[in-house]
Amino acid sequence: MKKLYYFMAAFIFLLCNAASAQQTIKGKVTDQATGEPLKGVTVWADKSKAGVPTKDDGTYTIIVNAASTSLTFSYVGYASQSIAIGGRKTIDLKMTASLADMADVVVIGYGTQKRSSVTGAVAKYKNDQMNETPSSRLDQALQGKIAGVAIQNVSSEAGSEPKVRIRGLSSIGASSAPFVVVDGQPSDGLAFVNMADVESVEVLKDAASAAIYGSRGANGVILITTKSGKADKPKYSLKFSIGEKDAYKLYPMMTVTEYTKMLFDEAALKATDPSITPPTGNAIASSPERAAYVIEQTIMGGVPTDWQASALRKAQVMNIQLGASGGTKTVKYYFSGGYQKDQGMMYHSEYERFNIKGKIDAQLGKKVKLTFNVNPSYIKRERPSTNFIDFVRFQSYLPIYLNEATAAFVRQSPLYPDVKAGDFAQARYFNGRVYTGLMPDGSNWVNTTAIDPFSTANNTPKSAMETRTITTNDYRLLTSGELTINILPGLDFKTLASSYVIFSNGLDFTKRNSARAGDVNKGVYMNSNTIDLLSENTLTYAKTINDHSFTVLAGYTAEKNRTKIDQVTGLDYPSDNVTTLNTALTVDNDRENTYNNRFTWGLLSYLGRVTYAYKGKYLLNASLRADGSSYFGEGHRWGTFPAISLGWSAGKEKFFSNVKWMSDLKFRGSYGALGNNRIVGNAPYDLLYSANYPTGAANGTSALGQVSGRDLGANPLITWERTFSYNGGLDVSLFKSAVTFSLDVYQSKTEKLLLRQSTLAFTGITQFNNNIGKIQNDGIELEVTTNNIRKKNFKWSTSANISHVKNKVLQLGDEALLLNQGERTELYMNKPGAPLIQYFGYKTDGVWLSQADITAAQAKGLTSTLSNVFVPGGLKLVDLNGDNKIDVNDRTVIGNPYPDFTWGITNNITYKGFDVSFMFQGSQGGKLVNGDPNYNETKRYNRNYNANRWLSPKFPGDGKTPYSTVGFNWMLTDYVVEDASYYSLREVLVGYTLPTKWIQKVHMGSMRFYFSAQNLFYHFGSNYRGINPEARFNTGPYNTPLVDGYQRGSFPLNRTFLFGVDVNF
Amino acid sequence: MKSFQYIIILLALGLCSCNKIIDQLPESNLSTVTYFKTIDEVQAGINGCYNSLQRPLQYEWQLTELRSDNTKMGVPASTASGNRDFSDLDMFIPASTHSGIYSYWLTTYNNIKNVNILLQRLGVTYDPAAGSLTMSPSIDIPMSDSIRKQMAGELLFIRGYHYFNLVRLYGGVFLVHAPLTPTDAKTINRSSVADIYKLIEADLKAATTYTSQLKFSQIIAANVGKANAWAAKALLAKVYLTLNRKPEAVTQLQDVITNSGFSLQATYANVFSITNEMNSELLFTVRFKSGGLGLGSTFGNDFGPLNSGSAVINGSGLGNNYPTNDLDTAYVATDARRPVSLAVYGTGTAAKLYVKKFLNPVTISGDGESDWPIIRYADMLLMMAEAQGYSTTSIGYINQVRARTGLGNLPATVNTVALFEQALSNERRLEFAFENQRWFDLIRFNTTLTTITAQQTIKNHFAKEYARHYAQYLAPTPTLAELQSYVTDAHMILPIPQHEIDTNTQLKIDQNPGY
Repeated sequence: MKKLYYFMAAFIFLLCNAASAQQTIKGKVTDQATGEPLKGVTVWADKSKAGVPTKDDGTYTIIVNAASTSLTFSYVGYASQSIAIGGRKTIDLKMTASLADMADVVVIGYGTQKRSSVTGAVAKYKNDQMNETPSSRLDQALQGKIAGVAIQNVSSEAGSEPKVRIRGLSSIGASSAPFVVVDGQPSDGLAFVNMADVESVEVLKDAASAAIYGSRGANGVILITTKSGKADKPKYSLKFSIGEKDAYKLYPMMTVTEYTKMLFDEAALKATDPSITPPTGNAIASSPERAAYVIEQTIMGGVPTDWQASALRKAQVMNIQLGASGGTKTVKYYFSGGYQKDQGMMYHSEYERFNIKGKIDAQLGKKVKLTFNVNPSYIKRERPSTNFIDFVRFQSYLPIYLNEATAAFVRQSPLYPDVKAGDFAQARYFNGRVYTGLMPDGSNWVNTTAIDPFSTANNTPKSAMETRTITTNDYRLLTSGELTINILPGLDFKTLASSYVIFSNGLDFTKRNSARAGDVNKGVYMNSNTIDLLSENTLTYAKTINDHSFTVLAGYTAEKNRTKIDQVTGLDYPSDNVTTLNTALTVDNDRENTYNNRFTWGLLSYLGRVTYAYKGKYLLNASLRADGSSYFGEGHRWGTFPAISLGWSAGKEKFFSNVKWMSDLKFRGSYGALGNNRIVGNAPYDLLYSANYPTGAANGTSALGQVSGRDLGANPLITWERTFSYNGGLDVSLFKSAVTFSLDVYQSKTEKLLLRQSTLAFTGITQFNNNIGKIQNDGIELEVTTNNIRKKNFKWSTSANISHVKNKVLQLGDEALLLNQGERTELYMNKPGAPLIQYFGYKTDGVWLSQADITAAQAKGLTSTLSNVFVPGGLKLVDLNGDNKIDVNDRTVIGNPYPDFTWGITNNITYKGFDVSFMFQGSQGGKLVNGDPNYNETKRYNRNYNANRWLSPKFPGDGKTPYSTVGFNWMLTDYVVEDASYYSLREVLVGYTLPTKWIQKVHMGSMRFYFSAQNLFYHFGSNYRGINPEARFNTGPYNTPLVDGYQRGSFPLNRTFLFGVDVNF
Repeated sequence: MKSFQYIIILLALGLCSCNKIIDQLPESNLSTVTYFKTIDEVQAGINGCYNSLQRPLQYEWQLTELRSDNTKMGVPASTASGNRDFSDLDMFIPASTHSGIYSYWLTTYNNIKNVNILLQRLGVTYDPAAGSLTMSPSIDIPMSDSIRKQMAGELLFIRGYHYFNLVRLYGGVFLVHAPLTPTDAKTINRSSVADIYKLIEADLKAATTYTSQLKFSQIIAANVGKANAWAAKALLAKVYLTLNRKPEAVTQLQDVITNSGFSLQATYANVFSITNEMNSELLFTVRFKSGGLGLGSTFGNDFGPLNSGSAVINGSGLGNNYPTNDLDTAYVATDARRPVSLAVYGTGTAAKLYVKKFLNPVTISGDGESDWPIIRYADMLLMMAEAQGYSTTSIGYINQVRARTGLGNLPATVNTVALFEQALSNERRLEFAFENQRWFDLIRFNTTLTTITAQQTIKNHFAKEYARHYAQYLAPTPTLAELQSYVTDAHMILPIPQHEIDTNTQLKIDQNPGY
């Protein structure tokens, strides 16, 4: 603490000191090419401590020490210039833009590099001041902006993380999520990074760039640099935005009335088909269906319940960020605080975050520099206990709450004498009753037996949702200190120590009778505690001798991460309102529900890198990293990961200066090795689990029991997965940087895949971790930026990116192929020579049009061992191998999840104070498996599954749409493989910055208002029957990269409207 | 320059102190690397194997009772996928990907793995060619020979029990008799039914000699519930009967009846009472224990009436394993077994049958006390009758069992082989209702009885239940003829789970015919 006081004191002192002055210089800074004034250029005087920025009109006034002899002007994107004062009182300057963005400094692992010297594939995204995305989340802000970075919103739940993949999948068994580093500190994803604090984001895409992160770079690395103070007067910023989101599209579900009418209409049509027996009675609509219709028409008074609507709301989003930054030449500071609230569209889905960040850079004398960073945050999150699909599936005849009339009806049953108006209605209340009444065709349905319209024991989704609360509180504290010591000229030693503490506590409390009648109330208390300690130590030596410049880096790092998770489950509380464990009748002693787990991992690394440039044109970069990981057993822990890359800045060659239309040209090439150790812990060991058993007389006493693992087997030989990849790149700048583009082509091969391999169930386990197989990714990425208009008051630029990646399995050890089952027994195949995942099932050829159609086929000898294959109106399976027998051998590849290409186009237009930007983003060619039709309720009531469907031989619909309840299981066929392509107007932003002269009157720096909208327009693929093509399941059988592409009951896409204001002063 | 020296020191410190951080053993679990090295640890392993008998039972009723004439799927109108899975079994049309068929297989083989790990530690190996077990002269774990035999015997009993169920349900399964790596597993194909029975016989025979021979009354409290020689003999008798080796069955049964000290309980209700657990009738049970220990029985809730709230059992019932009307009416009104085995919830048109045998009050859903009987003394008597065929002695055995039902002796009209077999079959059905015996009985009758065949019984049951049950299925409603046509010879055994056939890419695994 004491040191902090010193910093504060020093910092205050320096601020006060900055005022002493003897000479005033004024001037104006403009752009050489356009003549526009440049705002925010830093003007320094030598022998003086503080600099000043230029104002909006490009003017500045600096008071300098009499001893000063020169002024230095620096501005990002422009070449810095020093001008001798020479006694002048006015110094105007025209600054020359550096080649667009190429002169930027790029953050690379454990250091920085000039953009012009980069030889790998590194993308940079700057959080620009003016057109800053209103998104509060970094991952969302990056969507569609960087070629090769695919970001998919797999869930629309509040606070849920999108899936981020860099250059496709390099790993299949281990995690495929990129490694995120915030200011040098490894971080657990992008979710906790506050967008407002971000200065820039660098994405290390190829192996050579990421190899310095060795074992953790295999999925690419995202480096985030947060804002720092600049040597300037204090600057304050306020950002505020507020908005609303709602569902873009809901499932088109029929009410019970509409559905029953449809059945009777169908029956009327069928009655006119002489080839079939006209349906009567239950064959038109079953008794439960009729009963539901009667309830909706009479007891509900013809007013159906919209269950989807009962789950959703117009959700509020709000974001407030305050920042203060500034400093002197020796001490710079950046502080920010923020609050974000993000409601989910579903009730009981809410995300709130409070965060604070403080960063101080201090020059402690001539040789020592210190950076201190502290970043506490608090996140409160509530998640809905019920899936949206449960609402979609629910039938409209059931009310949400009982009213006087419905309660009176239910009370007539001897089983429910006590229900009252205002209670949640439950399906069982309407069961076991005799229903009778008018049908849609006017006939009177007379029934004498008791009927269960909906024979579920479960409570309605709304009542289950309202009686269970799942909340978590996360407390995070990231603290780091970095000391840089300049030992000799050019030789720096840097040591970084950081600790990242995450404490999380949650309570999942279920009230009495929540899911079903008679359930006791239950509280699950979950505490987890993670401490990540990191020490990084590097020596850097930079030297330029004539035309040769070198940088040499050597270092070692050590990281240890310890996690403890405690869970206690309490049962049977006297009241639903006191939820502390003390009041619970019992604690659930099942080790699945009450436990304490610990896990520690460590990573030890040695790293080295040499960069060499000759005349700034011929570039070489070589690195080596050795990692030792605790995830593997003795003797299998260490891996070495080398990389090399070369570059040629052809644009700097003499012969090039004559080529007027091309401003710059650079070739890059790289090769590197990366590793991946991110598998589940303890993989080398066959773990034992608690399996106690009652022993002894009478009811017995529980005795200690231990059994070997039930699902995942051990593999003591497990070791590093390794990826080797090539990257070739080209950077071109044309017509004075009016058009720039970067093209990258790459190939990567991953070997010794860490794979959770399926094994024969008769071994007693289903899966084990193994190093088998190889996969290959080939890809091409193009980023183009054009400055269409570069006038003083009117600018228009377009950036577009497109990427294509193709993956292929080369080998799967000794496996010819792997077949993995999804939750509905649909199959996912992994096979050498083919894309990693292929859907595997039966091909269909429309539907069987009639019994005659079937008989004819059977007369030709067609048979089948499968059930429900020959049903009129059912799917017609293709006898693929032509053996006249439809069986498991007719299954084939019926699609894969991989898009042919993904793209994004952003247009930025500024006209005077107005700025407009809009971004289209899309994905083309991927397929998904839609699990919705597994539910008969979904199939029956969803209009998408009933339009043009087969009814009878005379009314075959389009001949392709099966009758929803008959025939072969859809889930095993290509009928549920749907086009996942989409394109969307992801974002539209319109802003207005108030003229400086107005603002200055109220002593403010700038003020901007904006409106933005997300997903204003969204286009779905041709045969897609769902509502959100980006949604994916990633739990259960889908919690492995070998099984992907499945969705069910997806949460709706959200459409967000925001209004915001940014103020700087 | 001084600072440079400090840095060197710092670096050196960092380098040497760190190697430990990558040397981490599992912190939350024991592992087979370090455990099962002492008597107590092996005992904990054996307890774990007993515990793991519980899991297959979660699925066993689906593969046995549900397919027999005892129970059916409760809600024909339901199209929920879980209910459809039940229907598929009930109607004899399960796919090879059926989840219940797979789960039973997996949980059973999982416990076989547990047993094999421990048998290896105890130095017990099986030679499939010779069909014999060998015990190595010495092992690393210090223990007396008698303890080692008792432990090995209990494990062999469990393994024999598992394989006996597997072979009867799936036919020739995979013979796994030692710990197996995933790589080795790929070289193993299905064994013949005869080879599986060879192992079962070897395991159970060894269990009869290795485990305790003490009579029921002599078993010390601490050993109650462990597999003993009588349980092994009883099960072995059933194996012999299934194989139609009647004389050998009689030998084992006679031994148990005469020497075990196990006997019938005075009342039928006493057999299943939770205040009378581990009584003299229970040769072997899978034990459950309530009290929030994770050891409770779920069957009270699983089989309780659907939508009954807390009227019958806390947390409602799921209505699974729904008794057939046919079974209900098979009980004579005064049969003392009926009120223990099943009950009715609701009245009039809404009345629902449900299985009551394993239902006792619970505080928390799925945490019941009721044990699950595997083999009991009444079975000894009825198997004796079955093995010896129509005779006065046999009728005497049946009458012993009937004595406590309030029905008295079999009427004198049971005086032909056909009527005797009918009476025996019916007696077994009522005595062991919902104990997962009926299906195996029906299959066994095909070889041991001359007049009762499984297929005909099932077809008759479809006819009896058709109007009130199977006709209620939603479109397409199966016709009775269709339903009966599913009951084929091939469908008397289940398919090998498709997972096994799809996963082994090196060997071609033959599916059972008809799937």
